[in-house]
Order: sequence, then C-alpha cells, then structure tokens
Amino acid sequence: MAKLDKSREVASGETLIKVEEVYKTFDDKVVHNGINLDIKKGEILTLMGGSGSGKSVLLRSLIGLEKPDRGHIYFEGTDIAALNEEQLVSVRKKIAYVFQYGALFDSFTIADNLAYPLREHTKLSEKQIREKVSATLAKLGLQGTEESFPADLSGGMQRRVGVARSIIMDPEVILYDEPTTGLDPYNTKQILKIILQLKSHGATSVLVTHDMFSIFAVTDRVAFLKDGKIEALGTAQEIKDTKDPALHGFIHGETM
Amino acid sequence: MSVSTKIKRHPGMLLRFAKAKSSKFVHEMLDFVGGSINLLYATALSVFRPPYYFGLFTEQCYSLGVKSLSIAFITALSTGMVMSIQFGYGLERFGGKLYVPKVVGLSIMRELGPVLTCLMLAGRVGAGIAAEVGSMKVTQQIDAIRALGTDPLKRIVIPRILAMMLMTPLLVVMADLVGVCGGMMLSYFELNIPMDFYFHEAVTALQLSDFTVGVTKTFFFGLIIAVTGCYYGLKTEGGTQGVGQATRHSVVTSSILITIFDFILTKIFWIFEKGAHG
Repeated sequence: MAKLDKSREVASGETLIKVEEVYKTFDDKVVHNGINLDIKKGEILTLMGGSGSGKSVLLRSLIGLEKPDRGHIYFEGTDIAALNEEQLVSVRKKIAYVFQYGALFDSFTIADNLAYPLREHTKLSEKQIREKVSATLAKLGLQGTEESFPADLSGGMQRRVGVARSIIMDPEVILYDEPTTGLDPYNTKQILKIILQLKSHGATSVLVTHDMFSIFAVTDRVAFLKDGKIEALGTAQEIKDTKDPALHGFIHGETM
Repeated sequence: MSVSTKIKRHPGMLLRFAKAKSSKFVHEMLDFVGGSINLLYATALSVFRPPYYFGLFTEQCYSLGVKSLSIAFITALSTGMVMSIQFGYGLERFGGKLYVPKVVGLSIMRELGPVLTCLMLAGRVGAGIAAEVGSMKVTQQIDAIRALGTDPLKRIVIPRILAMMLMTPLLVVMADLVGVCGGMMLSYFELNIPMDFYFHEAVTALQLSDFTVGVTKTFFFGLIIAVTGCYYGLKTEGGTQGVGQATRHSVVTSSILITIFDFILTKIFWIFEKGAHG
C-alpha cells in the first residue's frame, strides 16, 4: 500500500460542504441530533460509526436523497436541504453517489449504464459518448465489458462499474457508500486507487465504511458518529491514536 | 392449549385482534388513497414539462400493450363463446334463441369486454409494473435515477401511465370485436344461427354509445392499473418479500378498484345517456 499512501495530500482547507445543525428522525428513532461538519475541498473524509449511527443517512442527505427534519447542508453557498427534486438536478451533476452494491440499471448494458448521465445532461454525440464510456471503463480496468449486462459481472466488477458511472461526469464531490465492503483485496485496491486518483485531480470524497484498512489507507480525516452527533473528528492518524474509550473500542472491535 | 381455552382466558383478545386488523386496513387504505392521489397530482404537474421521454413511452406501449394482445384475445374469444352458449341454450327454452346476437353483442360491448380485459391486464400488467418498479426500488435503482440527476416520475411513472391510458382502450376495441366474432362462430356451429343474421342483429342492436361507453371506461381502468402498480412499486420495502407483497397488493387493489369504478362510471354514463335521450 506504499504506492497508495504516496498520493495522499493535505486538504486545501477551503470548506466545500457545510453541514449545520442537522436533525433527522425516522418514526421514533433519532438518527441525527444536531450534526455539524465541514467537508473541505479536495479531501477524503470518512464517516465512521456503529450500525444505525446515521452515516449512510448523512451521506444520502449530502446529495438530497434524504431531507433533514431541521438544519442546513450548504454546497457552494446553496442549501441542499431546502431544494426540491428539480432544483437538486444541478447539484447532482456536481455531486456523485456511489451505491453500496452499484445500483446499476439491470436492463441496461454496462455501456448504457455509463452513458446514462451523459445522454441526460450533455449534448455529446453518440460517438463521443462511446469514447468516453470506453475510456472510463478502461480507467477502472473494465475494458471489454461494454456490451455485458450487470448480471454477467462479478460483484466486485459491478461495484467498479458503479464507480465508473458516478465519475463519468467529472463530479466535484463523490460520495461512497461502503465502497469496499465485501470485496476481495484486488477489487478493494482498485477502488481505493481510483479514489486517490480522483483526489489527485482535485475531487472531494466522502466515504462511509467499516473497512478500517480502507479508512487508514486513503483517508485524510475521519468523523466518528455516535448518538446522532459527530463524536470525534480528526486526521486518520489522530483517530488511530485516540485515547477516547468509545472510539478506541470501536476501531479495535471491542464495542459497537 | 386449545383455541377456545385461550379465548376464554382472554375474552377481549378477538376484539382487540379485530380492532388491530381493521385499524391496519383503514390505515393502509388511507395511505393508498393519499399516496396515489399525490402520485397522480405529481404526474399531472410533470407530464407537460420537459424532458420528454418519447422512447420510453413507446417502449412501454409495446411492453404493456402489444405484449398483452394474446391474453386479451383469448379472454375475449372465450367470453364471447361462453356467452353465446349460455344464452343460446338458456333462451332456447323460452324460444328466444334468436336474441343471442343482441344480448351477447350488448353484454360484450358495454360490460364484459372492457371489464374482463382490464381485470386480466390488472393481473398481467399491474403485477408486472409493481414487480419491476419494486425490484428497482429495493436494489436502489430508483435512488440511482435520482442521484444521477433525473426524475423517476418522468422515467418510470409517466411512460407507464400514458402507455396504459393509450393501450388499454385499443386492446378493449380489439377484445370487443374478437368477443362478438367468438359469439358469432359459436352460434353458427353450435346453435345453427347464420353468420349474416348474427352480424346484422348484433350491429342493429348496438348503438354508438354502447361502444363508446365501454371503451371510455377502460381509459380510467388503464389509469387505475398503472397508478396502482407504480404506487405499490415505489412503496416497496424489505427485499424480495416486499416485492411479492407489492405485486399482490397491486393486483388485488386494482382489481377491486376496477369493479368499483365500473359501477360508478356505468351509473354516470347512464345518467348522461338518459339526459341525452330526454
């Protein structure tokens, strides 16, 4: 992993997404109880926490797939939480979401899955779209899969196609929901490599993962969620060396 | 322990169970009414706003309409034949066999053609929509459509609703003709009623309004099937079991709604027809 570590850089410091006093409940369950978080431009931030701690809900809120009950999520000065579906389209062209199991359209070929956002949001010709699709697939080691259907690919390859579809529009921010969970070491390394490559091109990444190896391999900062709040926030090294018993216990698998 | 002993020990148990069940039913019913009206309202607001997915609409016309031709054809043919045989032998006892063309023609055009075809479509198409959309929901494909900056309403719901509103009446027109022809064939071979006589009697008995009333109802039935399927599909939760539930709910609900709305629409149309004829 030395090669991966080399490309890590310090985040520039400019806040790109600001989460302010976000509250969210599902029925009687309080998921977010006043979340405050700044996501800096160009950084890789990992959201960590036990099952049901609201990491994925927070990630979904960053692209408007969930609406907070209260609070604000600012992206480039716009409050995402206040936008309707139509207004969110412009935000979703800049923020991409990588689903846990790819969420590929199973009736589309791989090429059509990748071409989907290009056909929807650009005026590229079919030839240009095909070229861009092939180039993006090649970037993730998936050349030759254009005419396959998602069901024809392994789980790891489907995840990589999911990443390819999300990055094909060159988004500023990429949100990854458990990108490496359940993957073999090869596919895990491929995905971590692409996350770092995107960072080197200036993209900001937010990860939700339980995979400690991934966290410490690529992350700049880690936010630890507990009881609906950000319990700890720091660099990967600071989190690793923490003396906080809850966080220490979580990292070392002693507590949930 | 026997059931009766249990009931004796807990005299209010059955009542509580009934209350809980009825309250759940009422809650689900209100949920459906509110949710489907919302869906219809959102569809009505979005349908004239770009982007327009004409390709998806034609795809759905083929998938939901053209592919339902065989089921509509078989249903209509057997209905026409059964009606002829039942009325033929039934009316023969009173010397009324020659009324078969009129009775069968009217029954098929006004009622049986539209309702039976739509009930079959509720099974084939409604279940298909709920299962497909439900699977997309539980595999996060609906979320992916949103996350990629597109609207599931426009890509999933509107093409299906419009396709059903167009294709259902067309299928019923075909079913009406096939049903009448089925009755004519059966009458010829089984009841010895000449085909030209059957055709002449059926045509003279029917008014344009008999045909239009039957077909107009199916426009609403198509809407009911598509909206119910989409509503339950989009509401699906809990993996494959949830998809199964959504499918079942969609078929049951749309079938019940078709029979209820059949009565309501028939009543409304009769009021209009009576008014028109003074």
